[in-house]
Amino acid sequence: MDKKKRTHFIIIMLFLLALILVGVFLTGNTSGEEEPIGEVMRDAVLHENAKVRLLGILPVNPALISAYTVTGIIFVFSLIVRIFVIPKFSNTPGRFQLLLEQAVGIFDGLAESNSPHRHKFLGAYVFTAGVYIFIGTMFELLGVMVPTTSGGTIALPAPLADINGAISMGVISYCVILSGGIAGNRFKGVLNTLKDFSLPISMSFRLFGALLSGALVTELVYYYITTSFIIPIFVAVMFTMLHALIQAYVLTMLTALFYGEVSETTTTVN
Amino acid sequence: MPLNIDVQQILLHMFNLVLLFGILYVLLYKPVHDFMAKREEEYKDREDKTRDALSDAEKLKGDYEKMIKETEADLAAKRAELSAAAEEDREKIISDAHARAAQIVDEARNKAQSEHDRLMARAQSEIAEYVSKAAEKIVLKDESLSDDFDTFFESMAQQKEADNG
Repeated sequence: MDKKKRTHFIIIMLFLLALILVGVFLTGNTSGEEEPIGEVMRDAVLHENAKVRLLGILPVNPALISAYTVTGIIFVFSLIVRIFVIPKFSNTPGRFQLLLEQAVGIFDGLAESNSPHRHKFLGAYVFTAGVYIFIGTMFELLGVMVPTTSGGTIALPAPLADINGAISMGVISYCVILSGGIAGNRFKGVLNTLKDFSLPISMSFRLFGALLSGALVTELVYYYITTSFIIPIFVAVMFTMLHALIQAYVLTMLTALFYGEVSETTTTVN
Repeated sequence: MPLNIDVQQILLHMFNLVLLFGILYVLLYKPVHDFMAKREEEYKDREDKTRDALSDAEKLKGDYEKMIKETEADLAAKRAELSAAAEEDREKIISDAHARAAQIVDEARNKAQSEHDRLMARAQSEIAEYVSKAAEKIVLKDESLSDDFDTFFESMAQQKEADNG
């Protein structure tokens, strides 16, 4: 692109942006008086009003729809990879193969380092959990709109920004830890796991709180028209990416850590 | 329930998670993990084989070094043996040469002696002949001496015959 064309391009872009800004200020409500901020945030946390029908039958929180959508996306992606990519794997990996190997290797290594004595199932679980949290959180950025039961539309949130999703993740992680205890130490393992009975609650709420805080900050930023330009690029994208990475790491690391602790076989020395 | 907690939705989320676990395990985690494990095993095998080959080579090297040392020791022994034999041969050759030289010297000496004796005898006979001729000439010049000369020769011949026995 030569200098003249570049100048034209910049001028046109600036003109278009100015035009849109004028339109926004002339038509929009700058104070957000239609729905109070408290109501918006309460709705973002509890999803009491905005329900979506699952398969057109059951009214559920939008995060559940997100969860199944994410699973569908991952399923299609995995199927394509399994059919077209994995059979072509070579001993000298290309970029994509390296990415897949890294993803599996990182979670497998995490499981092995935290539970060296028993880590096969744990590796597979933390891989699933990590991928689900990461992709589920990133899914929020797509802003897929779905119709609500009340007739409006809503952008699908991250699956774990819903308390039910976070609880299910916490409970399943706890069950995995419990299974490690049973496999490693039988009844003693169960006791060791039950000793940390607060674990599912802490895991669930940590996940929920972390993801929700990001969602709330984003809601706040979007709520006011004056902060809806440029700032969301950093706030929404950065918060979402950071949460995706940090929460995927934290939950998988905690699960692996507790799993290793309760499944470690203890021997009595006389 | 408070916080919009819904057991049915929790169960639906759990169903989704278990389903996702199955999908990811079968389609992605296991194949990739198996491939990585197989590759690791392959490299481990190669490493083991290389280590074995190296160990074999080291052993072979040790064997060859030992063989070389033994050969060198054998060579040294052989060399010493040969050297001793050569020394013995040398001594024998020298002693033979000395003996031969002594024999040659003796033979030469004997030959020289016999030549000397022969020459001496010849000289003596020649001298005797010359003397005899001279004496004959002298005698022939003087008639009186001729008979004495013949007498002398006859007596000498008789004496010689007597000596020879």
